[in-house]
Amino acid sequence: MATNSHDSATEAQIAAALARCAAGERAALKVIYDIEAARMVGVARRMLRRQDLAEEAVQDAFMRIWRAARSFDPQRGGPRTWLYAILRNCALTILRDESRFTADEENAEDAAPIAESAMARLPEASALRRCLESLDAQRRTVVVLAYVHGLSHGELAGKLGVPLGTVKSWVRRSLISLQECMG
Amino acid sequence: MTRDENEKTLAAEYVLGLLEGEDKTEAERRLTSDAAFARDVETWRTRFMAFDDATELRPASDALWRKIEAAIQAPARTPATQSAWSRLWGNIGVLRAATLAASFAAILFAVGLGVAIRKAREQPVMVAVLMDGTRPGAVVHAFADGRVVLVPLTTINVPEGRVLEVWTLPSRERGPVSVGLMSQARTLQLNLKDLTAPRVDQLFEITLEPAGGSPIGRPTGPVLYKGTTSTAL
Repeated sequence: MATNSHDSATEAQIAAALARCAAGERAALKVIYDIEAARMVGVARRMLRRQDLAEEAVQDAFMRIWRAARSFDPQRGGPRTWLYAILRNCALTILRDESRFTADEENAEDAAPIAESAMARLPEASALRRCLESLDAQRRTVVVLAYVHGLSHGELAGKLGVPLGTVKSWVRRSLISLQECMG
Repeated sequence: MTRDENEKTLAAEYVLGLLEGEDKTEAERRLTSDAAFARDVETWRTRFMAFDDATELRPASDALWRKIEAAIQAPARTPATQSAWSRLWGNIGVLRAATLAASFAAILFAVGLGVAIRKAREQPVMVAVLMDGTRPGAVVHAFADGRVVLVPLTTINVPEGRVLEVWTLPSRERGPVSVGLMSQARTLQLNLKDLTAPRVDQLFEITLEPAGGSPIGRPTGPVLYKGTTSTAL
């Protein structure tokens, strides 16, 4: 299911490195680090907004990748989606830890332009971009902000100034439309 | 909302990180026990990953790799083994609920895991990852005591009346030598007979052969997976 911009050679290289990690070969983890670390720090920083927290998330992610390498099953999914799912979980754990992470006061910032600029970074030919563009602007904003910045239902409601139930229903409807468009 | 829409939406909400509490725990549980749900999750992950691939690269500080490296040094073996055990117990739970076929796969996995746990305690000196061109299918571990073990990483489709034969190429002069035969992918101790321990860059491959193995003592069927050894650090 390697339908991203990365070639299958990179996918194969990472899959092979994961198999070597599973056999206890530490040098193989460095292979993955050299290929993906800069992107992973970029993704974590997009969600956490701070370099130190981003690096902490990436460090946590590599620890989990090392320990869980044996459970990676190429039959069930691609190696990169596996890596980035782990990273996303690590970043969300830090983000949702309210005792550590005080939400910054950017609520005044208009949500729509942030979502639009994230969408504008997607390649023109991207199916995700095309399908998001076909949605109502407010409805796509909730999905984009949830993924790109890791906002929760509550944070989305606060940012958009609408009730929680409305946000939940916008998210669901957007996802159904996306499924129809991309399915 | 139809049932299918509801399922796919739930998978997407899980990927977005919007599920909380029991809903999240339930989704995590289904990820290991419900293949259809796991497929939906993988599909959404792949879709949304377009955002990650479009995100600006940020070089990591030099200290980051040193911290990771320090954290995975020898002591990290203990938690690795523990988590392997807890996964095994997780699998036994799955096993009760699963269909017979799924149970069988889980048993195979548990057996492989048992081997993997033992392997965690004894480092191989040489490792080969056998690929089919894009995906790894098996790993060959050569240990200091002379044992060479093949561990499959995936199920391999073996047609009726055929077997999987494992080969190595100790040298061009000697040619390929059969070191193992199995009717389906499983962990297999390879028989290197009179051969010396594998050296760096020694080829291992798995071919599909008639029942009983290749009649001519060298590979006749298609090569399913192949790879060469390298030194394990």
